[in-house]
Amino acid sequence: MPYTEYWNPKNETLPREQLQALQLRKLRRLCEWAYATTPFHQRKFDAVRFKPEQLKTLDDLRRIPIMTREEWMESLQEKPLFGDMLATDPNNAIRYHLTSGTTGRTPIRVLDGMKDWDWISEMWCYGLWGFGVRPEDIVYFAFGYGSFIGFWGAHYACEKIGSLVIPGGAQTTEARIMQIIEMGVTTVCSTPTYALHLWQKAKERGIDLAKESNVNKVILSGEPAGSIPAVKHQLEEAWGAKCGDTAGMTEIGTIMIFECSHQPGGTHIIEDHFIEEVLNPVNDGPAGYEELGERVVTSFGRGFIPLIRYRTKDMVMKVPASACSCGRTWDLYSGGIRGRWDDMKLIRGTNVYPRAVEAIIREYAAIDEFQIYIWRKEEVQDEITIKLEIKPGHEAEWVVLQHKLAKDLANAHEGLRFNIERVEYGVLPHFELKAKRLADVRPVAQY
Amino acid sequence: MANTDTDLLGSRLTEQERELLNVYEALKKLASQDDLPPCAARNVRRALMSMWQATNDLDLQFEQLYEFGV
Repeated sequence: MPYTEYWNPKNETLPREQLQALQLRKLRRLCEWAYATTPFHQRKFDAVRFKPEQLKTLDDLRRIPIMTREEWMESLQEKPLFGDMLATDPNNAIRYHLTSGTTGRTPIRVLDGMKDWDWISEMWCYGLWGFGVRPEDIVYFAFGYGSFIGFWGAHYACEKIGSLVIPGGAQTTEARIMQIIEMGVTTVCSTPTYALHLWQKAKERGIDLAKESNVNKVILSGEPAGSIPAVKHQLEEAWGAKCGDTAGMTEIGTIMIFECSHQPGGTHIIEDHFIEEVLNPVNDGPAGYEELGERVVTSFGRGFIPLIRYRTKDMVMKVPASACSCGRTWDLYSGGIRGRWDDMKLIRGTNVYPRAVEAIIREYAAIDEFQIYIWRKEEVQDEITIKLEIKPGHEAEWVVLQHKLAKDLANAHEGLRFNIERVEYGVLPHFELKAKRLADVRPVAQY
Repeated sequence: MANTDTDLLGSRLTEQERELLNVYEALKKLASQDDLPPCAARNVRRALMSMWQATNDLDLQFEQLYEFGV
């Protein structure tokens, strides 16, 4: 029997009015669960006198207060380690992951129960199957497998699909290239940056991945570049393979959008498991189709930490399902995640908040002025360099400071490598009022 | 056995959906037994975790399972 194009034909082609009825039913149950089990949501709902039974239509969603990352961080700081957001006993968890915080060293920590963790891979199944991954595929994960959630869910999704999974783990780029070729890998999962890096390193060794590997699909995640036409074209040429974009976030544990095999220039929203609102970032009113707005997500998955109307600061543009010819009734984000409404930067898949970096730098009394300099190495790899000036009289501290600061910053950012560079005193601009200590000189994406 | 005739949207269950839901309910019943040997208790939970995905994807249930440690 030939494979169906959809992981879940019933819901992926559900008429939109039924899809919305399903979302409403799930939303009400989710709100009941959250209100009954988490002080965080009780407090928020009570503050605006919202009761789950007020949800009569999907438009009533707007009665629910929006949840912010800052509120989550406050909750974590007031009640370490997980705040007052856990809906059940931590003993029910089987998995712990984290993502970098918005301020200082406190990360956002998440727990998943058994079915939550499996749901995370289930969402990846929608995306991977939708892009054409099948049991016959051999899938390589160019991924470090740490406490950063990254491709963990995709790994288990491929096992669930029945593909042969090759975990790249802690290997050199050269070793990864050889394994991809030797094992006849058909699908590579990677960030766009690292997929380009793999190609470049292969080229330096005289290897043409488009000709010498069996790779026909590259699944991209962790950076917006997977939907930037120029980058995608470059990757598809380099690998001789179709490249599919996906996007997710640690806060929900998985992906919420994916590009299907029809490659419509956008990513379908998994609408039977998420409500994705797009709001005008100024007045929080709903943005229409083809209007840029901010993503606000409600997840029907991870019950351990209910996420309801969570403000993401992601910049998106929703278009109707009819923009794609695949037959799914799920709307899309044209161009995937297009950027940010705040100052968060994405460096090799890791979230970096300048104010969190500054909070760590300010722990060092020997540092006077500094600049966070984000650049692109050899047109491929994003780098973050902290340029800093040492206060006169503290020069002897530089060597130890350089290593310790790099370590502190990495520890607060899922192991991300920070370059630390000392500049002569007085070279960096000194600010008296509004400081501009961030310089992002990477090329601007063109959609 | 499943004690409903309809899915979350109120549509009548197909025979296949009813079978899936019955397996799910049977696993919940097993998971509630506290005298299963570890090899059964833990694998029943793994199976329940998987059946939750299938029945949830197909709109047959939307509930939490933490009471079973799942």
